[in-house]
Amino acid sequence: MTATESPEAADRARRLQRVAELLAVAVTPQEVLDAILTEGVRAAEARAGAIGVLGEDGETVELLAQRGYDQSVMVGWSTFPLDAEVPMSEVIRTGEPLFLTSSRELGERYPALAGQSRDSHALVVVPLAVEGRVFGAMSLSFDRDIEFEPERREMKLTLARQAAQALARSRLYATEQLLRERMTFLAEASELVASSLDYNHTLRQVAQLSVPGLADWCAIDMVGPDGEIERLAVAHQDPEKVRWAYELQDRYPPDPDAPTGVPHVLRTGEPEFYPVIPEELLDEAIGDDRELRQIIDELGIKSSICVPLTARGRTLGAVTLIAAETHPPYTQADFEQAVELARRAAIAVDNARLFRESERGANAARALAYVADGVALLDTEGRVRHWNPAAASITGVAEDDALGCPVAEVVPAWDALTSHVPLVPPGSAARPVTVPIVLGGRERWVSVSGVDFGDGTVYALQDVTEEHALEKTRSDFVATASHELRTPLAAVYGAVRTLRRTDVELSDDDRTAFLEMIESEATRLATIVDQILLAGQLDADAVDLELTECDPQRVAAGVIESAELHLPKSISLDLAVDGAQPIRCDENKLRQVLVNLVDNAVKYSPEGGRVELRVRSANGSCLIEVADEGLGIPVDEHERIFEKFYRLDPQQTQGVGGSGLGLYICRELVERMEGNLSVESELGKGSRFTVELPLQR
Amino acid sequence: MVDDERSIRLLCRVNLVASGIEVLEASDGREGLELARRERPDLVLLDVMMPELDGWTVARELASDEETRDIPIVFLTARADPADRRLGEQLGGVGYVVKPFDPVAIGSFVEGVLVRIERGEREQLRRGISSGPER
Repeated sequence: MTATESPEAADRARRLQRVAELLAVAVTPQEVLDAILTEGVRAAEARAGAIGVLGEDGETVELLAQRGYDQSVMVGWSTFPLDAEVPMSEVIRTGEPLFLTSSRELGERYPALAGQSRDSHALVVVPLAVEGRVFGAMSLSFDRDIEFEPERREMKLTLARQAAQALARSRLYATEQLLRERMTFLAEASELVASSLDYNHTLRQVAQLSVPGLADWCAIDMVGPDGEIERLAVAHQDPEKVRWAYELQDRYPPDPDAPTGVPHVLRTGEPEFYPVIPEELLDEAIGDDRELRQIIDELGIKSSICVPLTARGRTLGAVTLIAAETHPPYTQADFEQAVELARRAAIAVDNARLFRESERGANAARALAYVADGVALLDTEGRVRHWNPAAASITGVAEDDALGCPVAEVVPAWDALTSHVPLVPPGSAARPVTVPIVLGGRERWVSVSGVDFGDGTVYALQDVTEEHALEKTRSDFVATASHELRTPLAAVYGAVRTLRRTDVELSDDDRTAFLEMIESEATRLATIVDQILLAGQLDADAVDLELTECDPQRVAAGVIESAELHLPKSISLDLAVDGAQPIRCDENKLRQVLVNLVDNAVKYSPEGGRVELRVRSANGSCLIEVADEGLGIPVDEHERIFEKFYRLDPQQTQGVGGSGLGLYICRELVERMEGNLSVESELGKGSRFTVELPLQR
Repeated sequence: MVDDERSIRLLCRVNLVASGIEVLEASDGREGLELARRERPDLVLLDVMMPELDGWTVARELASDEETRDIPIVFLTARADPADRRLGEQLGGVGYVVKPFDPVAIGSFVEGVLVRIERGEREQLRRGISSGPER
């Protein structure tokens, strides 16, 4: 610019400068448009101005803003085709500015516009271009006819360049701003979905976060365990509307076979995007339901996006975004953002589910690892799919050897074990069957139950060998007790029946013998019954002992004395005392113990021999021994003979009767007197039982 | 009469003698087997749970010897289990009497068994091993 320029030129320069300053501080596209259409139009001395840009589709021109034109003139011009025969379209197409002197020239060149703008005269349309790329045009209308000399033309072009740059910059800024917001949203949403394993809660928050920035409505639907559609969240700014939406959902449940919408997206895993929801689509969805029509109309749905939540090829759910009363219709960028959001959310949901499943699996494995019952899972082909440590221990087959193998191969007894087990469907009460099998060379009793769940069978195995042994001992005891009771009963009953015979004359000796028989056999019955009772009391810890000072020698002598009354002739019974000191015990119970031990000594000496009762003191204790020269006890039975119901000869075929309770009772009683009872014995050479009791202090 | 219980032997002896039956007694299985081999009685009343040899063994021994295999055996026992009864049948017993029993009727039971054996019904007796005069 030089000092020789005309005052008009200097003025134009000043006005341009002013526009440039305004544009420099305008940030948003709106601010830029405002600056151009006020100061720019004024600087150009134009009556009105408008700015149009090329649409995203590249085929339309979108009028961004105008100033000074009559509203009525602008009707229908918010968007128009790029190939329309109008100045702005032409300028954008060609990139060449257009300077029309008068409305007559306009009418000649654009017959469609002839007479349309009666109050317009000269018209200038200049391209808006950045880096040689035309993205729009600016029109300036004047209230008089003007022949545009070069300086004026240049001024308009300069103005256009300034406007173009400012507008492009602001649009870039806006896009960037939008992108940043989107990225921020995505980042927030990602953080949210990744932050918690409670993905249901998280997805609800995502839905909440989406309104109103991303949508007027946001809904999240999930695929339920049985494939049903479960609405997880609906978000809208107005909680009242959310409630209403749920009601709507209840009244109009989604048809899983619907050709569009959430069911379709869930079925196909393909997203749906309607920048503008077609009327036909709504009509089809609504049908003849007048009420629904009214609801949809009130909603004012404009545009929608429905994207699947897909992870590892499975569709977990869908996110629906709806633009209605406030949100502008969705663009491709919105759609892409929604896809990205759904992708991230799906991964987070999948992770959370996987974590939960693996945790559940780990917990289940932990439970199965420690449960005492054996658990074996077989597939439909009978191959082992799970084999817990208890199953390994019961069968003697290690997990590593069993997994993946046909169970019948790794456990040969499997068929014997399970062939009688009724398989029940899941949820039914298991019906365990107890089976004896030989596993790893040992006989085991195993309780087995099985559940057939379609994809295989799960067996629960319980080693009940000990319980079975105990049960067997009990039933043996019942049999034993019944045998033991039958013989004295037979004697008592038989004696009475015989004594009452009138057809036979009994001798006096026989008569006496039968009466004695009744007396002694009744006593024997009473003893057996007493022992059964006493054993029960000991079990229940209901035996009271009276611990007092007593003389072991006197007790032992009394036992010998009464035993001698019915001693077989082949047995000799002796007492040997070596410095007996007073002891502390329950005298009656001690007598009971010694009587039992002496009875045993006699009973187990069928060939006769010597039975000796020895009393002596040693190391602060009193030792009372009962020794015989009878059958003896095998070494491996030395401890077992003290077990309840245990009998050396359970079948009693050797004829040595007893309830199987005598020694159990003896040891229990001695231990309750703070002493102990032990045995030394050699098969065929006799036994020595020793009662050790504390001395009186 | 083979039983280790003196009282049972006494009961049986007194009542069998009253029915006019001669009775020989043994107090354990071995003694009973020897007695049966030596004396060839018309019938053995045999206890099961006894010292030395149990009643099952005595029955097996008698059956395995051609000289004694025809001696009819009636078990007289405290073992009331059906499995025991079946074992008695398998071992060739013609009667199975469970204690406590009615000694007054034991004589006529033994006589009835002998009559049926006389009639050649031994096998029927064995298969439907007959219960004795139980209480």
